[in-house]
Amino acid sequence: MTATIVETGSKSVGMGQIVLGRQPGRLTAILGSCVGVTFYHERLQLGVLGHVVLPTSNGQGAKPGKFADIAIPHMLELLKQHGIGPGELDAKITGGACMFGPDGPMQIGDANVKAIVEALKTAEVPIAGKDTGGSTGRRISFDCTTGLLLIDTVGNPSRTL
Amino acid sequence: MPNSQCAESNEMEVLHQLFSSATYDASAAMCRWTDGLITLTLDEVREIPLEDVCSELDINDELRTMVVLRLRGDIGGEMILTFDEKNGRQLAASLLGQPTSEDSRWNDLEKSALTETGNILGCAYINAITRLIDQELIPSAPYFIQDYGASVLQQALIAQAITCDEVLVCRTGFHREGEELNWRVLFVPTEAMRKAMEATMHFSTGICNR
Repeated sequence: MTATIVETGSKSVGMGQIVLGRQPGRLTAILGSCVGVTFYHERLQLGVLGHVVLPTSNGQGAKPGKFADIAIPHMLELLKQHGIGPGELDAKITGGACMFGPDGPMQIGDANVKAIVEALKTAEVPIAGKDTGGSTGRRISFDCTTGLLLIDTVGNPSRTL
Repeated sequence: MPNSQCAESNEMEVLHQLFSSATYDASAAMCRWTDGLITLTLDEVREIPLEDVCSELDINDELRTMVVLRLRGDIGGEMILTFDEKNGRQLAASLLGQPTSEDSRWNDLEKSALTETGNILGCAYINAITRLIDQELIPSAPYFIQDYGASVLQQALIAQAITCDEVLVCRTGFHREGEELNWRVLFVPTEAMRKAMEATMHFSTGICNR
């Protein structure tokens, strides 16, 4: 398992992708019901962003970033290859909206967030920041120089985790 | 061409035929609704890797005005009528017989005009598919939403993403007096809908025997 690292500029992380970034790189994503998960190592200024689509893999493993239950172990394994253990990281999570309102179809956002939180608990990675739920999309930008996660939503001021 | 590629090519061809018929009916309904101003053409029917779907369809972090219809049930799907702000405003103004609004907020009348457009378009499309695949399809009430296009598309893709790493999307474009507009209809069928479409078209055209 090897992965390229974004070290310059900005890289958009698509649905089901996991991408590593090192300063001064920046990782971005657009989220609806999907959840964006970041891990960051401050001293190495190395981070990873996973764009998780669904809560459980039910045995499917072709694309590890797609499912919460296998995305978290996979992200940790990528960082382990750089000598980073789970105890040296903190996690931030965002997304998991119900885009079509509380009565709308495919209410997967809440289930995604719960599955991510559970997987992080199992992996013993503390959650340093969380901005989830609601009924609007999020545009996120993960700064690999600082570990800060900038979150934009339509019609609201930006927030930073 | 290897057999597997040939089979995939045939599947896409039959789906293209079916969506072409549905687009033709939807175009006729749209033409009536807009007094002959607006027509539709089928741009593409394609499978796209999940991670590339938003960039390939050029649906990104731009603020879009959208009307979403859902087909309930296993044989279902999501239909998204999407406009940029300018085109959405122009359509609403044209339907309401008013000047284009400069207000940053959409009023209820404008929302209603676009929602009804989504309803008319969606129902024409769905009626055509119902007739072609001989299955009862039940659409939800249309839902008006303004947000990042990619955020909405993501949720529409979830049903396919459960079982597939590539998603099938049908994209339709709009024209006003020959000029292409920045409007789109994206239709994302469920896996069961896709299979029903393929089975019907194989049966009716005999394309699998070529």
